[in-house]
Amino acid sequence: MNAAPRPRLTEIAAALATGGLLTFMLLCNSAMAAATTPLFSSLAAHGVGTVVAAAALAAIWLMRGARAARPNGPRRTPLWAYLGGVSGALTVMVTSYTANSALALTGTLALGLAGQVVLALIFDMTGAMGVKRRLPTLTELGALGAILAGTALIILARGGA
Amino acid sequence: MGGVIALAFTGGMLVTLSRQLNGRLAMDSSALGSSFWNHLVGLAVLLAVALVAGGLWPQGTGDAPWFAWIGGALGVVFVAGGSWLIPRLGAAMTGGLLVAGQMLSGVVLDLLRDGGRNAALQAAGVALILAGVALSRRRQRKTAA
Repeated sequence: MNAAPRPRLTEIAAALATGGLLTFMLLCNSAMAAATTPLFSSLAAHGVGTVVAAAALAAIWLMRGARAARPNGPRRTPLWAYLGGVSGALTVMVTSYTANSALALTGTLALGLAGQVVLALIFDMTGAMGVKRRLPTLTELGALGAILAGTALIILARGGA
Repeated sequence: MGGVIALAFTGGMLVTLSRQLNGRLAMDSSALGSSFWNHLVGLAVLLAVALVAGGLWPQGTGDAPWFAWIGGALGVVFVAGGSWLIPRLGAAMTGGLLVAGQMLSGVVLDLLRDGGRNAALQAAGVALILAGVALSRRRQRKTAA
Protein backbone atom coordinates (compact mmCIF):
# COMPACT_ATOMS: atom_id res chain seq x y z
CA MET A 1 0.00 0.00 0.00
CA ASN A 2 1.30 3.42 -0.93
CA ALA A 3 1.79 6.34 1.39
CA ALA A 4 -0.07 9.47 0.37
CA PRO A 5 1.91 11.51 -2.14
CA ARG A 6 2.99 14.99 -1.14
CA PRO A 7 0.19 17.48 -1.90
CA ARG A 8 0.94 19.93 -4.70
CA LEU A 9 0.93 23.65 -4.02
CA THR A 10 -2.05 24.11 -6.36
CA GLU A 11 -4.03 21.48 -4.43
CA ILE A 12 -3.28 23.11 -1.09
CA ALA A 13 -4.16 26.55 -2.48
CA ALA A 14 -7.39 25.18 -3.95
CA ALA A 15 -8.32 23.55 -0.63
CA LEU A 16 -7.64 26.71 1.39
CA ALA A 17 -9.59 28.88 -1.08
CA THR A 18 -12.50 26.42 -1.12
CA GLY A 19 -12.52 26.34 2.68
CA GLY A 20 -12.45 30.14 2.71
CA LEU A 21 -15.53 30.13 0.52
CA LEU A 22 -17.34 28.18 3.23
CA THR A 23 -17.06 31.13 5.62
CA PHE A 24 -18.97 33.32 3.17
CA MET A 25 -21.44 30.56 2.34
CA LEU A 26 -22.27 30.12 6.03
CA LEU A 27 -22.63 33.89 6.37
CA CYS A 28 -25.20 33.93 3.57
CA ASN A 29 -27.02 30.84 4.78
CA SER A 30 -27.22 32.02 8.38
CA ALA A 31 -28.62 35.35 7.20
CA MET A 32 -31.39 33.37 5.51
CA ALA A 33 -31.84 31.15 8.58
CA ALA A 34 -32.12 34.24 10.79
CA ALA A 35 -34.79 35.78 8.53
CA THR A 36 -36.71 32.49 8.10
CA THR A 37 -35.85 29.02 9.46
CA PRO A 38 -32.73 26.79 9.22
CA LEU A 39 -34.74 24.32 7.12
CA PHE A 40 -35.80 26.95 4.60
CA SER A 41 -32.26 28.36 4.48
CA SER A 42 -30.93 24.95 3.45
CA LEU A 43 -33.83 24.43 1.05
CA ALA A 44 -33.16 27.77 -0.66
CA ALA A 45 -29.41 27.08 -0.84
CA HIS A 46 -30.01 23.68 -2.44
CA GLY A 47 -32.57 25.14 -4.87
CA VAL A 48 -30.31 28.00 -5.96
CA GLY A 49 -27.35 25.60 -6.08
CA THR A 50 -29.21 23.16 -8.33
CA VAL A 51 -30.07 25.94 -10.80
CA VAL A 52 -26.54 27.41 -10.77
CA ALA A 53 -24.86 24.00 -11.21
CA ALA A 54 -27.27 23.08 -14.03
CA ALA A 55 -26.58 26.39 -15.79
CA ALA A 56 -22.81 25.91 -15.43
CA LEU A 57 -23.02 22.34 -16.78
CA ALA A 58 -25.14 23.54 -19.71
CA ALA A 59 -22.67 26.33 -20.48
CA ILE A 60 -19.76 23.86 -20.46
CA TRP A 61 -21.74 21.44 -22.61
CA LEU A 62 -22.47 24.19 -25.16
CA MET A 63 -18.87 25.36 -25.25
CA ARG A 64 -17.42 21.88 -25.65
CA GLY A 65 -20.04 20.64 -28.06
CA ALA A 66 -22.17 17.59 -27.51
CA ARG A 67 -19.52 15.13 -28.66
CA ALA A 68 -17.04 15.57 -25.84
CA ALA A 69 -19.73 16.21 -23.25
CA ARG A 70 -19.49 13.03 -21.18
CA PRO A 71 -16.11 11.93 -19.95
CA ASN A 72 -17.49 8.52 -19.11
CA GLY A 73 -15.27 6.52 -16.83
CA PRO A 74 -14.53 2.85 -17.51
CA ARG A 75 -16.75 1.70 -14.65
CA ARG A 76 -20.44 2.09 -14.08
CA THR A 77 -21.37 4.56 -11.39
CA PRO A 78 -23.31 2.83 -8.60
CA LEU A 79 -26.58 4.45 -7.58
CA TRP A 80 -25.41 5.06 -4.01
CA ALA A 81 -22.78 7.47 -5.31
CA TYR A 82 -25.64 9.89 -6.03
CA LEU A 83 -26.65 10.02 -2.35
CA GLY A 84 -24.16 12.66 -1.17
CA GLY A 85 -27.00 15.17 -1.14
CA VAL A 86 -29.01 13.05 1.32
CA SER A 87 -26.13 13.09 3.76
CA GLY A 88 -25.70 16.83 3.21
CA ALA A 89 -29.37 17.53 3.87
CA LEU A 90 -29.28 15.42 7.06
CA THR A 91 -26.25 17.38 8.26
CA VAL A 92 -28.26 20.60 8.25
CA MET A 93 -31.02 19.09 10.36
CA VAL A 94 -28.64 17.45 12.84
CA THR A 95 -26.46 20.52 13.37
CA SER A 96 -29.32 23.00 13.64
CA TYR A 97 -30.76 20.74 16.35
CA THR A 98 -27.51 20.32 18.33
CA ALA A 99 -26.55 24.01 17.98
CA ASN A 100 -29.77 24.84 19.84
CA SER A 101 -29.16 22.19 22.53
CA ALA A 102 -26.96 22.42 25.62
CA LEU A 103 -23.94 21.92 23.35
CA ALA A 104 -24.53 25.28 21.67
CA LEU A 105 -22.60 26.21 18.55
CA THR A 106 -19.16 25.72 20.13
CA GLY A 107 -19.86 22.12 21.14
CA THR A 108 -21.52 21.37 17.81
CA LEU A 109 -18.50 22.70 15.89
CA ALA A 110 -15.89 20.94 18.03
CA LEU A 111 -17.65 17.56 18.08
CA GLY A 112 -18.49 17.87 14.39
CA LEU A 113 -14.84 18.45 13.62
CA ALA A 114 -13.90 15.32 15.58
CA GLY A 115 -16.53 13.26 13.76
CA GLN A 116 -15.34 14.54 10.39
CA VAL A 117 -11.71 13.65 10.99
CA VAL A 118 -12.30 10.23 12.57
CA LEU A 119 -14.47 9.05 9.69
CA ALA A 120 -12.13 10.60 7.10
CA LEU A 121 -9.17 8.65 8.52
CA ILE A 122 -11.23 5.45 8.48
CA PHE A 123 -12.24 6.13 4.84
CA ASP A 124 -8.62 6.78 3.83
CA MET A 125 -7.30 3.65 5.54
CA THR A 126 -10.01 1.40 4.11
CA GLY A 127 -10.27 2.97 0.65
CA ALA A 128 -14.01 3.41 1.15
CA MET A 129 -16.33 3.82 -1.83
CA GLY A 130 -13.76 3.17 -4.49
CA VAL A 131 -11.56 6.13 -3.59
CA LYS A 132 -7.91 5.01 -3.42
CA ARG A 133 -6.82 3.45 -0.12
CA ARG A 134 -4.02 5.33 1.60
CA LEU A 135 -2.26 5.26 4.94
CA PRO A 136 -1.73 8.66 6.53
CA THR A 137 1.97 9.51 6.95
CA LEU A 138 3.38 10.79 10.22
CA THR A 139 3.91 14.17 8.55
CA GLU A 140 0.29 14.20 7.46
CA LEU A 141 -0.95 13.29 10.94
CA GLY A 142 1.25 16.04 12.40
CA ALA A 143 -0.17 18.55 9.93
CA LEU A 144 -3.74 17.46 10.72
CA GLY A 145 -3.08 17.61 14.45
CA ALA A 146 -1.72 21.16 14.24
CA ILE A 147 -4.64 22.33 12.08
CA LEU A 148 -7.18 20.76 14.45
CA ALA A 149 -5.50 22.16 17.57
CA GLY A 150 -5.43 25.63 15.99
CA THR A 151 -9.07 25.28 14.97
CA ALA A 152 -10.06 24.22 18.49
CA LEU A 153 -8.33 27.32 19.92
CA ILE A 154 -10.18 29.61 17.51
CA ILE A 155 -13.55 27.97 18.20
CA LEU A 156 -12.86 28.36 21.93
CA ALA A 157 -11.75 32.00 21.54
CA ARG A 158 -14.91 32.89 19.66
CA GLY A 159 -17.20 31.06 22.04
CA GLY A 160 -19.26 29.93 19.09
CA ALA A 161 -19.93 33.38 17.64
CA MET B 1 -26.53 14.90 27.07
CA GLY B 2 -24.75 11.78 25.78
CA GLY B 3 -27.29 11.53 22.98
CA VAL B 4 -26.71 15.10 21.86
CA ILE B 5 -22.95 14.58 21.95
CA ALA B 6 -23.27 11.52 19.74
CA LEU B 7 -25.58 13.44 17.43
CA ALA B 8 -23.12 16.34 17.02
CA PHE B 9 -20.33 13.83 16.32
CA THR B 10 -22.58 12.17 13.75
CA GLY B 11 -23.18 15.56 12.13
CA GLY B 12 -19.46 15.78 11.43
CA MET B 13 -19.34 12.22 10.10
CA LEU B 14 -22.16 13.07 7.69
CA VAL B 15 -20.03 15.88 6.24
CA THR B 16 -17.21 13.41 5.51
CA LEU B 17 -19.65 10.82 4.15
CA SER B 18 -21.21 13.34 1.79
CA ARG B 19 -17.80 14.48 0.52
CA GLN B 20 -16.65 10.89 -0.05
CA LEU B 21 -19.81 10.02 -2.00
CA ASN B 22 -19.52 13.16 -4.12
CA GLY B 23 -15.83 12.49 -4.68
CA ARG B 24 -16.64 9.00 -5.92
CA LEU B 25 -19.31 10.37 -8.24
CA ALA B 26 -16.87 12.97 -9.58
CA MET B 27 -14.33 10.24 -10.39
CA ASP B 28 -16.86 8.77 -12.83
CA SER B 29 -18.13 12.10 -14.21
CA SER B 30 -16.91 15.54 -13.15
CA ALA B 31 -16.56 17.63 -10.00
CA LEU B 32 -19.24 20.02 -11.22
CA GLY B 33 -21.50 17.11 -12.14
CA SER B 34 -21.20 15.68 -8.63
CA SER B 35 -22.04 19.10 -7.21
CA PHE B 36 -25.17 19.26 -9.37
CA TRP B 37 -26.40 15.85 -8.18
CA ASN B 38 -25.56 16.71 -4.57
CA HIS B 39 -27.74 19.82 -4.73
CA LEU B 40 -30.59 18.21 -6.69
CA VAL B 41 -30.86 15.15 -4.41
CA GLY B 42 -30.49 17.31 -1.29
CA LEU B 43 -33.22 19.61 -2.62
CA ALA B 44 -35.58 16.65 -3.08
CA VAL B 45 -34.99 15.47 0.51
CA LEU B 46 -35.44 18.96 1.95
CA LEU B 47 -38.59 19.59 -0.10
CA ALA B 48 -40.10 16.40 1.30
CA VAL B 49 -39.14 17.38 4.86
CA ALA B 50 -40.50 20.92 4.40
CA LEU B 51 -43.80 19.59 3.07
CA VAL B 52 -44.17 17.28 6.08
CA ALA B 53 -43.09 20.04 8.47
CA GLY B 54 -45.74 22.22 6.88
CA GLY B 55 -44.63 25.07 4.71
CA LEU B 56 -42.37 25.72 1.72
CA TRP B 57 -42.35 29.51 2.05
CA PRO B 58 -42.02 30.63 5.69
CA GLN B 59 -42.70 34.15 6.90
CA GLY B 60 -39.79 36.55 6.62
CA THR B 61 -38.59 35.20 3.29
CA GLY B 62 -39.25 38.55 1.65
CA ASP B 63 -37.27 40.38 4.33
CA ALA B 64 -34.06 38.36 3.84
CA PRO B 65 -31.15 40.45 2.50
CA TRP B 66 -30.08 39.79 -1.12
CA PHE B 67 -26.91 38.00 -0.12
CA ALA B 68 -28.93 35.43 1.82
CA TRP B 69 -29.82 34.01 -1.62
CA ILE B 70 -26.31 33.43 -2.95
CA GLY B 71 -25.17 30.82 -0.41
CA GLY B 72 -26.30 28.09 -2.81
CA ALA B 73 -24.12 29.43 -5.64
CA LEU B 74 -21.08 29.40 -3.32
CA GLY B 75 -22.08 25.90 -2.23
CA VAL B 76 -21.84 24.65 -5.81
CA VAL B 77 -18.18 25.70 -5.93
CA PHE B 78 -17.57 24.34 -2.42
CA VAL B 79 -18.92 20.86 -3.20
CA ALA B 80 -17.18 20.75 -6.59
CA GLY B 81 -13.91 21.76 -4.91
CA GLY B 82 -14.25 19.00 -2.32
CA SER B 83 -14.99 16.42 -5.03
CA TRP B 84 -11.92 17.53 -6.98
CA LEU B 85 -9.70 17.29 -3.89
CA ILE B 86 -10.84 13.93 -2.43
CA PRO B 87 -9.11 11.67 -4.99
CA ARG B 88 -5.99 13.86 -4.92
CA LEU B 89 -5.44 14.44 -1.19
CA GLY B 90 -7.55 11.76 0.49
CA ALA B 91 -10.43 12.41 2.85
CA ALA B 92 -8.41 13.42 5.92
CA MET B 93 -6.14 16.01 4.30
CA THR B 94 -9.02 17.36 2.20
CA GLY B 95 -11.09 17.86 5.34
CA GLY B 96 -8.17 19.31 7.29
CA LEU B 97 -7.19 21.85 4.64
CA LEU B 98 -10.80 22.90 4.02
CA VAL B 99 -11.21 23.54 7.75
CA ALA B 100 -7.89 25.45 7.74
CA GLY B 101 -9.13 27.71 4.92
CA GLN B 102 -12.46 28.20 6.67
CA MET B 103 -10.84 29.14 9.98
CA LEU B 104 -8.26 31.52 8.47
CA SER B 105 -10.89 33.37 6.44
CA GLY B 106 -13.22 33.42 9.44
CA VAL B 107 -10.58 35.07 11.62
CA VAL B 108 -9.86 37.69 8.93
CA LEU B 109 -13.57 38.40 8.55
CA ASP B 110 -13.94 38.76 12.34
CA LEU B 111 -11.05 41.23 12.44
CA LEU B 112 -12.65 43.30 9.68
CA ARG B 113 -16.06 43.28 11.31
CA ASP B 114 -15.55 43.80 15.03
CA GLY B 115 -11.88 43.55 15.82
CA GLY B 116 -12.12 39.98 17.04
CA ARG B 117 -12.37 38.57 20.56
CA ASN B 118 -9.61 36.90 22.62
CA ALA B 119 -7.04 38.09 20.11
CA ALA B 120 -4.09 36.21 21.67
CA LEU B 121 -5.93 32.88 21.63
CA GLN B 122 -7.05 33.40 18.04
CA ALA B 123 -3.51 34.39 16.97
CA ALA B 124 -2.14 31.20 18.54
CA GLY B 125 -4.79 29.24 16.65
CA VAL B 126 -3.84 30.90 13.36
CA ALA B 127 -0.14 30.16 13.98
CA LEU B 128 -0.90 26.47 14.64
CA ILE B 129 -3.03 26.21 11.50
CA LEU B 130 -0.37 27.87 9.33
CA ALA B 131 2.25 25.51 10.79
CA GLY B 132 0.00 22.56 9.95
CA VAL B 133 -0.50 23.74 6.38
CA ALA B 134 3.26 24.25 5.96
CA LEU B 135 3.89 20.78 7.41
CA SER B 136 1.51 19.21 4.88
CA ARG B 137 3.95 20.31 2.15
CA ARG B 138 6.93 18.54 3.75
CA ARG B 139 8.32 15.46 2.03
CA GLN B 140 7.01 12.35 3.74
CA ARG B 141 8.47 8.89 3.87
CA LYS B 142 7.02 6.72 6.62
CA THR B 143 3.43 5.74 7.09
CA ALA B 144 2.01 5.96 10.56
CA ALA B 145 0.59 2.45 10.69
